Amino acid sequence: MTERDDRELRDRFQALRREDAGGAPPFGATLARARARGAGTWLPRWTVWLAAAVVAVVVVLVGARVLFTNGRQGGLIDLAAVRWEAPTDFLLALPGEELLRAVPELGRSPHFSWRTP
Amino acid sequence: MSPDLFELELDRWHAAAFGWALACCAGDRAAAEDALQATYLKVLDGRARFDGRASFRTWLFAVVRRTAAEERRRAAWRRLLPLAALGVRADGKPDPAALLARSETTQRLAAALARLSSRQREVLHLVFYEDLTIAEAAAVVGVSLGTARTHYERGKAALRQLLGEDGT
Repeated sequence: MTERDDRELRDRFQALRREDAGGAPPFGATLARARARGAGTWLPRWTVWLAAAVVAVVVVLVGARVLFTNGRQGGLIDLAAVRWEAPTDFLLALPGEELLRAVPELGRSPHFSWRTP
Repeated sequence: MSPDLFELELDRWHAAAFGWALACCAGDRAAAEDALQATYLKVLDGRARFDGRASFRTWLFAVVRRTAAEERRRAAWRRLLPLAALGVRADGKPDPAALLARSETTQRLAAALARLSSRQREVLHLVFYEDLTIAEAAAVVGVSLGTARTHYERGKAALRQLLGEDGT
C-alpha cells in the first residue's frame, strides 16, 4: 500500500464525510429531542434496582409456594382411590385361591370352597 | 466537566459524531439520530462519565458506538414483538433517500465498506473519515493497538481490492 493509495482512500472518505455532513441534523434539535426523550422515559437508577428486588421477591415467593404445595400433594393419598374396585374384579377371583393366601399348618386340612365365588 | 462545557464539546463534535453514528448504524439515518440522542442523554445525565483518560472526541465516539449497539439490540427485540408494527422504527438499513443523494463515487465506497468485516470498517472509518490515529481508533473500538493496526492494514488492502474490482 503506497502513500498515494492512502491519499486516494482518504479523499474518498472525505467526500463521503462532506455528503454526510450536509444531512446531519442541527445540534440544537438533536439535544432538545434527547432531553425530551430523557424527561419522558428515563427512570432513576434506584427504581431499576427496586423493580429488580420486587421481581426477585415475587419469584422466591412463587417458587416456595409451588415447592411446598407439590410436597404436600405428594404425601396425601385419597382413600377412595385405594379402595376402588373395578366392576370386572370378580372375574379375577378363582376357586381355591385361599390356598395361596393361608399359611399351611401341620395336622389341619385347609378349609376352602371349590365353588366359584 | 460542567454541563455547559459538555454541551459546548458535544456541539463542537456533533457533525463528526453523526457521521460516526451513521457508520455504526450501517447508514440508517433514523437509527443514527436515535443513537446520537441516546448518547447525548447519557452524557448529560451522567450515565456516561468522562474520566479524561482519552480525548473527549475519542471518549464520545466510544459512547456513540456502545449506544448504537444497544439501540440495535433494542430494535431487534422490538421487531420480535407484535407491537413493532404500530410504530415507525429504525430498520437497520441505509436510508434510500440518503443513498440516492450520494454521488456515484461515495456509493461505491459505501458498497465496498459494507463488504468488509465490522471491525475493519470501523477502524478505516475512524482513521480516514474521522482523522483519528490508529491508537485513538483502537481506544474507540476497544481493541489493542496491534489488533487495530491489523484491522487497518487488512481492511485497507481489502477495500483497495474491492474498489479495484469495481473498476474505479
